[in-house]
Amino acid sequence: MLEKLKELIVQYVEVEPENITEESRLIEDLHFNSYDFMSMLGELEEALDVTVDEQEMLNIRTVSDVITYLESIQG
Amino acid sequence: MMNKETVKTLQDLLVQAAAEYGDKVYMREKCGKEFSDTTFSQLKENCRRVSAFLNECTGGTKTHVAVIGATSAAYLTCYFGTACMGNVSVPLDAQLGVEDLCDHLQRADAEVFFFDKRYVSMLEDIRANCPKIHTYVSMQDVDENGVFCLSEILSNYQPMQWNKIDSESCAAIVYTSGTTGKSKGVMLSHRNLIDNTMCQDGESSTEDVTMTILPIHHVYCFTCDILLGLRYGTTVCVNDSMMRISQNLKLFQPTTLLLVPMIADTIYKKIKAAAAVKPDVSLAEIGRGVFGERLKRIYSGGAYLNPELLKAYREMGYIICQGYGMTECSPRISTGKDDDTNIGDVGTLVNGCTVRIVDGEIWAKSPSVMMGYYNNKEATAEILTEDGWLRTGDLGYVDEKNRVYITGRRKNLIILSNGENVSPEELENKFSGLDWVGDVLVYAEDDGMITAEVYPNPEYVSSNGKDAVSEVFKAHVLAINKTMPPAKNIRRLRLRTLDFDKTTSRKLKREQTTKGEICE
Repeated sequence: MLEKLKELIVQYVEVEPENITEESRLIEDLHFNSYDFMSMLGELEEALDVTVDEQEMLNIRTVSDVITYLESIQG
Repeated sequence: MMNKETVKTLQDLLVQAAAEYGDKVYMREKCGKEFSDTTFSQLKENCRRVSAFLNECTGGTKTHVAVIGATSAAYLTCYFGTACMGNVSVPLDAQLGVEDLCDHLQRADAEVFFFDKRYVSMLEDIRANCPKIHTYVSMQDVDENGVFCLSEILSNYQPMQWNKIDSESCAAIVYTSGTTGKSKGVMLSHRNLIDNTMCQDGESSTEDVTMTILPIHHVYCFTCDILLGLRYGTTVCVNDSMMRISQNLKLFQPTTLLLVPMIADTIYKKIKAAAAVKPDVSLAEIGRGVFGERLKRIYSGGAYLNPELLKAYREMGYIICQGYGMTECSPRISTGKDDDTNIGDVGTLVNGCTVRIVDGEIWAKSPSVMMGYYNNKEATAEILTEDGWLRTGDLGYVDEKNRVYITGRRKNLIILSNGENVSPEELENKFSGLDWVGDVLVYAEDDGMITAEVYPNPEYVSSNGKDAVSEVFKAHVLAINKTMPPAKNIRRLRLRTLDFDKTTSRKLKREQTTKGEICE
């Protein structure tokens, strides 16, 4: 999942894949803005055929949070 | 055919739209993998059922009814069910926290409250703080004590026959987002909203499909997506989340779009990024992949649109029609025309709107100008003259072809000790479209120095380092100052590490709690 996510992240923000870790914070470290972040989650929704809850999304801070959340809704 | 003579109230608009467009789909929403469609006729019938319910629970007395939630046919059913029977709708900002929400409900004297079910968790606080509200209705099914569900109302009540209503009566109280001070309740009459809907001709057609993205409580979205949709028989598709704009554009394939500059800018950045990895594909082709094959026209309003962005869209084959207005004018004062290739203006005055320039400030007069602020005579007198001119607070001018140009906000003016005025927006606009700039504010510090404060683009900082930002900032200010009279020169530079404080509609607050470091 991390590798897949890295591939997607580099399409949204200027960062080298090797600099992305599970601990990377999306806004502070990877410099996502809110609209980029929402667009990326939208793309993940489509790719994984899941539905992201916008309220839950507010709790997502790190790459690891994204992975944990997506795994939880994939069931 | 609807015209100004036959349509004078929201009730007339809805009734005639149902008569003219009947079983055509008016609103299309996503419901899982399927569409949920509402026709023009269904909307009218459901609104009449809500009116019957309101008539019963208010004893037929004029009532203020608040509505909060995402754009949906259910939302419009509650809004129009209220306004079409002569009651007053109060659309509220879905991003308000519970404290502000209670404040707005109380100040608007709301007695009935329609809400999306996610507000159920706030009901305890609302009940405790808003004693005037006697009836609570969830727009989705919930099992909650003392809360009605819209679906039960639609099943249990027969459509009410509406009496004719006065076009001069208040249809809605809309709270301004306001970047300074406490928001004010703008009273818009049926005449105001209908004038803004009917003032132009040929803006859309029954063939058109639009995708509504902006928040429904904004009068820009309400008039230009919802009311124009009813007038022209347009199908309005609902973008269910800011997360899914790209997916929904592909799904709904709209022919027209109403945007704010931030969205137009972000979409363009994505298109450019896609072009960089596919150099053999034209920007126009990538654009069609993003916007769909049918998009003809984009309307932009709400904030300053960088002319460079306008040009970039033109190169892709899309016309951005830029408009200008404010909640107090329902909202349009000017609107873009797709055959006007001029750059730098914010559209041409809409029919029926006259403008005069007083001390550089734009004053507007039209049947769309609000009745006043609810329970706030003092603020009303500040913005409306006795003979009906609306002081827009914007500085600008109108050319011989009635095109409007904005040069700044009057209330943000920096008054220098020599009596000269400086418009911060005029200077801030010189920072737009630069890749190292995230946001910028220009203001005068206590010692009178004109300061430009920048929150740099974090991506730029991470790639180039903070020192590079500082250098490019200094060089840019030097270049700007050379083009400006000395009184307007920026004398102090500040760089922030934290983003600016913003309002819920993502506008920068003029009053910030922290300042950036001085850049020597």
